[in-house]
Amino acid sequence: MVLGLREFTQRTGEGVGGPILDTDNGEELMRVQPFVSIVLGNRPPESHGSLYITSKQVIWLSDVDRAKGYAVDFFSLSLHAVSTDPEAYPSPCIYTQIESEADDGDDEDEESDLESGEVLDLSKVTEMRLVPSDASQLDTLFEMFCKCAELNPEPVEEEEGHNWVFSADQLENEGTGEDPGWHFFQDPTNSIGHSNGDHDLANTVLRLQINDQRFEDAEEMDQGNDSSHQ
Amino acid sequence: MLFFSYFKDLVGREVTVELKNDLAIRGTLHSVDQYLNIKLENTRVVDQDKYPHMLSVRNCFIRGSVVRYVQLPPDGVDVDLLHDATRREARGG
Repeated sequence: MVLGLREFTQRTGEGVGGPILDTDNGEELMRVQPFVSIVLGNRPPESHGSLYITSKQVIWLSDVDRAKGYAVDFFSLSLHAVSTDPEAYPSPCIYTQIESEADDGDDEDEESDLESGEVLDLSKVTEMRLVPSDASQLDTLFEMFCKCAELNPEPVEEEEGHNWVFSADQLENEGTGEDPGWHFFQDPTNSIGHSNGDHDLANTVLRLQINDQRFEDAEEMDQGNDSSHQ
Repeated sequence: MLFFSYFKDLVGREVTVELKNDLAIRGTLHSVDQYLNIKLENTRVVDQDKYPHMLSVRNCFIRGSVVRYVQLPPDGVDVDLLHDATRREARGG
């Protein structure tokens, strides 16, 4: 797993088309936004290019220099936001913070490095702004970023699964047909895209009680199994 | 699961999210998902001298894995309910 921003030069159509995606591993193109400038750190904007949002990463390809492009994986994007305050940045943009390998370093040093504009070390870039010429697209882009960020949870979490929700009883009875890959959390109604304001405290208590019932059911089933063995 | 449910009850409330890179952002909690990704609205940076360029963003998505602390409104904590829920969670796991 490589953190941070990196160069991206693999284009279709002999180097002039869109990005070549890792479709073998399920990468899908979610959205293309033409006429987008990119701002790395405190450097001047680089224009114009096309923004490609895929299910795994954000790719920007220059329209001017066909050899120029940048990409960052969604799991390296710590934060993204819609910035419309001219004091924060003159043009409305999507503001992102990038978690980089060199994140422990002193921020101020790094920014002055970027400002001097001598050598750009992409792995040290911690801020990126994407400035679409059509500012009315900002909210749509923001929502797409949110959607894709959710498609990319922490890799570690994914490997471990959610085994911790199983009780010892359940683990002992793995052969009883219980799906060990059962995902407790995969409830599409809990997507972050939805406002959850209708869930009051009572609702939470109810939810927790429902969960408890699930465990009780499992125990009852275990007891049933035991009695059938006797 | 517990904190997911818990944070959902704080939707609409003002919270401060402190990131592992020391940035602290205050805003209205818009939503939270099962990975504890957090969406804030009407955000502002707490330490504006240090992060002047982030003075204000309209809405903000914060990846759950980069959150260090979430500061809650004092009256947003139902201690009894949280105690009870924590015990249930411990028993269930």
